[in-house]
Amino acid sequence: MRDALSGEGGIAGGALTCEGVTFSYDEGRSRVQALDSVTFDQPAGCATALLGPTGSGKSTLLQVVRGLLDQQAGSVSLDGVTADDPRYEAVRRQVGLVFQMPELQLFAASAFEDVSFGPRQLGWPPLQVERAANAALASVGLPVERFARRHPHSLSGGEQRRLALAGVLAMRPRLLLLDEPFVGLDPRARRELVAVLATLRAEGAGFILATHDIDLAWQLCDSRLLLDDGRLVGAGPWAFGEGGEDELVAHRLCPPFFVALWERLGRPLAEAPRSAAEAAEALA
Amino acid sequence: MPLIAIKDLRYAYSEAGPPALDGLDLIVDEGEWVCIVGPNGSGKSTLALLLAGLAMPGAAGMAQACGHDLLTASGRLAVRRDVGILFQNPDNQIVGSTVEEDLAFGLENLALPAAEIRVRVDEMLASFDLVELARREPHLLSGGQKQRTALAGVVAIPRRVLILDEPTAMLDPAGQSEVLAALESLRGHGLTVVYVTQEMDEVQAADRVVALEEGQAVFDGSVAALFADAALLQRLSLGLPQAACVALALRERGHHVEPLPLTMDELVESLGGAR
Repeated sequence: MRDALSGEGGIAGGALTCEGVTFSYDEGRSRVQALDSVTFDQPAGCATALLGPTGSGKSTLLQVVRGLLDQQAGSVSLDGVTADDPRYEAVRRQVGLVFQMPELQLFAASAFEDVSFGPRQLGWPPLQVERAANAALASVGLPVERFARRHPHSLSGGEQRRLALAGVLAMRPRLLLLDEPFVGLDPRARRELVAVLATLRAEGAGFILATHDIDLAWQLCDSRLLLDDGRLVGAGPWAFGEGGEDELVAHRLCPPFFVALWERLGRPLAEAPRSAAEAAEALA
Repeated sequence: MPLIAIKDLRYAYSEAGPPALDGLDLIVDEGEWVCIVGPNGSGKSTLALLLAGLAMPGAAGMAQACGHDLLTASGRLAVRRDVGILFQNPDNQIVGSTVEEDLAFGLENLALPAAEIRVRVDEMLASFDLVELARREPHLLSGGQKQRTALAGVVAIPRRVLILDEPTAMLDPAGQSEVLAALESLRGHGLTVVYVTQEMDEVQAADRVVALEEGQAVFDGSVAALFADAALLQRLSLGLPQAACVALALRERGHHVEPLPLTMDELVESLGGAR
C-alpha cells in the first residue's frame, strides 16, 4: 500500500490554497453564481469534508480545483505553485478527482487494463505502470491475484466503485478529491469504501471528500469546508463545542450522530467520539 | 383476503442470467406499512416493479394485487389505477411543465371534469406544502421538492397501494426529511405502503419488515425482531441504526443494554439520561 501513495508524486504532497475563487455560468436566461469568492487553505495530508446542501457548489469547487473548470476570478495553487509558474499545468494534473458514480466510466475489458490506463496515458514506462496499477488495486481491497483479469461489469457495485477509485490512485495524485463517493452503495459496500479511505488517511494522504453523509464525514475527516449557495461559510478543524454545531444547523445540516448524542448526555462536545466503539469506550 | 398476495414467484431478466426473484412469498394486508430491505441484487426493485404492474415475461408462480392478477396483461393494466409507485430519481418522474400541471396530468388521463381536477390539485398542493411552488418549472426545484411533487402526483389519484423504491436515496438530508415528513402525513388515510429502502433509519416507521436475499424472503417480522438478529444483519450486510451500534459495542464491553435501542432517545434513556 505504501507503494501506491508515497514516493515521487505521492499523495504526501498536496497543500492546496484557494483565493477568492469565483465561478458562474449561464443557465437559460439566468446567470448562476456557483462559487462566490471561496478562500481557504488545505494543509498537505489533511482529510477534509466538503459539506453543503445540493446546489451549494461542492462539485463545481472540486472541478475548479482539479482544473477542469476555469474560475472567472481568484486563484488555485498546489504546494505553493501558482499560475505564473511554468510547473503549474503539470502540478495541477497531479490532483486526482473521483466523480460521482465513477463506475459509469469503467470501459476496459479487465480491471487491470482499466486501472493502468491512466498511468499509461501519463507516459510512464511499462514496469512503473504495472507497479502502480497493482499497488492501486491492492490499496482498494481488490488484490491483483483475484481481480486483475475480471471484467469490470462482473464486479459488484461496490467493487466497481473501488476499481474506479483505484484508477485515480494509480496515477499517484498529490491530492485526492472525491465527489459523493458513497451515494448508491449498500451498507457493505459503504463499509468497504470507508475502510479504504480510513487507511489512506492513516497513511497521511490528503483528500477532500464532498458528501451529504455527515456521519461518514465525521468518521473520516479532520476538518470541514462548508458551502452554502456558493459561499464558504465555515472552514478548518471541526469546531463542535465552539459553535460548530450551530453553524451546521444554520445551514440546514444536522450534526453528526455522536456529537448530538454527547450533547444529549451533557458531555463536552469537543470530546465527541468518532465511532460506536469509541463511544462505548467512553461510556463504559 | 390480503391486498397483496405473492406465492413462489420466480422471474429472471434473461434466460442466461441469475433469477431476480426465486420463489418469493409475500402477503400484505390492507393498511399495512411494510418495509422491504436487502442487499443490492436481492430483488427489492424487481418486487417493486412487479407490484406496480411492470410486465415480467416468463414469470412463474402467483402474484395478485388489489384482486388483479399481475401475471396477465389485463391484470397489470387494471392494477396501475390502484397502485402508485415513486422511484428514486427525482429527475425522471415529472412530466408537466409546472408543478401544478404535473399534478393534474394523471387526473386528466382519467378524463375527470376540469373543475374536479382543479379541486384535487389544490388539495395536493396544500397537503404536500407545494402551494408556493405551483407555477414553478420542475428543473428549478430542489431534489426534495421534486420528490414531493412526484409523490403528490402519484397520490393525486386516490390509490389503494403506494410503492416507494428508495425514494430518498438520491436526496440530501434536507430533502430526505421533507419527503419522509410528506410520507408520514399519508398515514392513517387507509393507504397500504410497500417501502423499499437501504436506510435502516427509515425502517423504524414500518409495521413489518421483510428482508430479501437472492430473490427470496428470508425474514418477515417486526422491526425489533430484525434488529435483534445480528447474524442476519451481518449476512445481508444491512446496517444498524447508530444507537444500536453503540449498544452492541457496550455489550461487547460487558455492559448489557436491553432491549436494543434503535433511536437516540431510546439509547439515552437506557443509559440513564444525561450524566
